[in-house]
Amino acid sequence: MLSSLWLVIDMHFFAFLRATGVTLQLTAVSLALAVVIGLAFAFLKLSRNPVANLLANAYIGIVRGTPLIVLLMFLYFGISSIVVLTSFWAGSFALAIHAGAYVAEIFRGAIQSIDSGQHEAARSLGMSRRQSMRLIILPQAFRRAIPPLGNQFIIGLKDSSLVAFLGVSEIYSTAMTAAAANFKPFETYLVAGLYYLVLVLIFTVLVHRLETKLTPDRRAAA
Amino acid sequence: MNVIETRNLHKHFGELHVLRGVDLAVAEREVVVIIGPSGSGKSTLLRCLNFLEMPDEGSEVLLDGEVIDPARDDLDKVRERMGMVFQHFYLFPHKNVLNNITIAPENVKGMPRAKAKEVARDLLSKVGLPDKEKAWPSQLSGGQKQRVAIARALAMDPEIMLFDEVTSALDPELVAEVLQVVQDLAAGGMTMVMVTHEMGFAREVADRVIMMDDGMIIEQGEPAGFFANPTEERTKTFLSQVLHA
Repeated sequence: MLSSLWLVIDMHFFAFLRATGVTLQLTAVSLALAVVIGLAFAFLKLSRNPVANLLANAYIGIVRGTPLIVLLMFLYFGISSIVVLTSFWAGSFALAIHAGAYVAEIFRGAIQSIDSGQHEAARSLGMSRRQSMRLIILPQAFRRAIPPLGNQFIIGLKDSSLVAFLGVSEIYSTAMTAAAANFKPFETYLVAGLYYLVLVLIFTVLVHRLETKLTPDRRAAA
Repeated sequence: MNVIETRNLHKHFGELHVLRGVDLAVAEREVVVIIGPSGSGKSTLLRCLNFLEMPDEGSEVLLDGEVIDPARDDLDKVRERMGMVFQHFYLFPHKNVLNNITIAPENVKGMPRAKAKEVARDLLSKVGLPDKEKAWPSQLSGGQKQRVAIARALAMDPEIMLFDEVTSALDPELVAEVLQVVQDLAAGGMTMVMVTHEMGFAREVADRVIMMDDGMIIEQGEPAGFFANPTEERTKTFLSQVLHA
């Protein structure tokens, strides 16, 4: 088994390497978009405007209430009937819209968790609502959002495998193709799993480093 | 000239009528201490002065003799002129001590960084913490936090300082260091309104003591007479409770 595993790794090394690049691009693009979408909808949800609330709740409710694969197919066929998109971009947008809903809830929770006294102290110093949000609340909320955000990003990285069904040559789709060609599905999917596992482990370390870097006060207090 | 004044100040929280027509005038350099049982509206009064709470329609708050109209005036500009210190400090935990103090002058007043630092360092010396500029709030004791909070408010060069039970969350042995800073400020001529339970401090530092109960000012006077011969029954009861506690 070990020798045939080695054979699979060796035979598809460059294909998986390219595929890893695609997976990373999908993840990076979709999560960057998800952060923007998430932040925007977090503000809509926190807004006192009932229309904004409704919009945010509808978006979050629909996304959370439907499986990603359905959203993926729906958007792919839906969007491509209006504009011509490559499967990479269609996939990225769908992943972003999906993750954005969860990121919105993470940001909303983080912003709400900041003591209202922080905002009052900022306002008492003459800061506007906007300055208080930008200088005092958001920096603290971001720090607090990193652990759940890191978690969501790991989920996003693994969710990118579903884009295989749109024909994007990322890790999972490469594994499907390889397994069909080499008749060694067990070893091939094992290799695919290892690729994801290593990526997630690297990512976990990076998130931890980022959190440490952004919270110098916690290190100092310890 | 009165630095701050209220006329017929009312405040409701829903059905709850927290302030029932408060008339308060604080002269320049005056130190006014407000006492009273919890729920009497002391903190709400203080928070209405800088519009952290919006006074009810028909109430008037005047700053330097000018009526402030929340609908027309820029309340951010109004708050710039009043410093406030809170019971629970509310230092910004993601900023070190120096940046806690410089953030408002830099961002609100547009003060150059170098100048803001100079102001902050000067104030840190005044509150007795010249060596703490690089410390994080989480590394400070309660008394140190509160002194930084005072310096932070002073950095905006306010015309008046509002102190909302600034020693109530402190361990007893840390109260004195904060009161000393407040006393130094008073001696330096700062106009201030202070809600406190520190009766000894009120007696020593206040120019005038105000007793509030049930959303109204029920008695006031210069401290010696006020504490020696309160006229209102509720004041007597309250003082006997806090002084013999």
